[in-house]
Amino acid sequence: MRGLILVGAMLVTQLGQLDAPVKAPKHRVTFVAEPQSVAAGKKGVLELKFKVDDGFHVNSHTPKSELQIPTAVTLGVSDGVKTTAAEYPAGKEYSFSFDPSEKLDVYSDYFVVKVPVVATAGSHELKGELKYQACDKAACYPPRTLPVDVVFLAK
Amino acid sequence: MGRRIGLIVVMVAGISLLVWAGVHNARERHLDMQKTNDAKAALVPEKPGDADGPAQPKLVGKMAPAFTLVDLDGKKVSLADFKGKPVFVNFWATWCEPCKLEMPWIEDFHKKYEAQGLVILGISTDDGSKDLVAKTAKKLGVTYPILLKNDKIEDAYGLEYMPQSFYVDKTGKVLIATAGITDGQGGKDGIEANIKKLLAESAQ
Repeated sequence: MRGLILVGAMLVTQLGQLDAPVKAPKHRVTFVAEPQSVAAGKKGVLELKFKVDDGFHVNSHTPKSELQIPTAVTLGVSDGVKTTAAEYPAGKEYSFSFDPSEKLDVYSDYFVVKVPVVATAGSHELKGELKYQACDKAACYPPRTLPVDVVFLAK
Repeated sequence: MGRRIGLIVVMVAGISLLVWAGVHNARERHLDMQKTNDAKAALVPEKPGDADGPAQPKLVGKMAPAFTLVDLDGKKVSLADFKGKPVFVNFWATWCEPCKLEMPWIEDFHKKYEAQGLVILGISTDDGSKDLVAKTAKKLGVTYPILLKNDKIEDAYGLEYMPQSFYVDKTGKVLIATAGITDGQGGKDGIEANIKKLLAESAQ
């Protein structure tokens, strides 16, 4: 009987969690996962494509002010895969309408980060993250970390 | 008897497993639905840039959430310390360009309206070092108190972006709330107009 009460209590607890709010950070950048392949055992390049939401921009990898948070990708390690420093595109000049004199260096729309790689033959997965800080035309959003999962084939 | 108890235990375990799986699946569906909704939301970006009206209508007309924070000297400062005075609370961050543009304006208003009883509190939402916050405030010429956020204040004020400002009347109620920097209420003239409203309200 005690067992049944215990099981009942567990179920009630679980059911109670169904309506609990699940907090997830809102992202202004999306990772566009595309199938990729490189030559096995040779130097190749993985292209990580990101989409910035319309109406938003993020700082480039080399913002003009030390106070601005640079966009940066970090990838974890995976057996049979060696990566070297990521290569970032140049940013575009941008100014807020209310302060045309202040020039910022930003990414908007799409941007692609290139990661040099050497991998053994087979399918590989690299998990990592994109750190960025987004603004729209009038306000800025706190820095965010977007999970990135890069799957590619070396053949 | 022992066999019967064993059978009951197996049945209860089986039913529990089934219900547990159902609950788990429902929760996964709930998460997926939320992700889908988030994705939809991303396609139609929220526009705080257009939000030159009240940023937090839920707070307007309500008591400003109480807080006790520390300033750059480590001294505790509470909103309640200023009861009876109009308080302009401005949330900012070192990485926020619009914030750094408006802070010198706010400093001007600090000098201009301090004698009329206006209290201005700048609250940094930076996660980084206090030194960076202090250095940035100094570089911007800010002399009004700069406080450092705690874990609760962002949720209490519903802060999703910077800058955001709350005009708190002498009774502690939020009279006006603004978000972003625009030509409307968030611009320099808009800020001054809101300060004048706040002072007028508090003079009654």
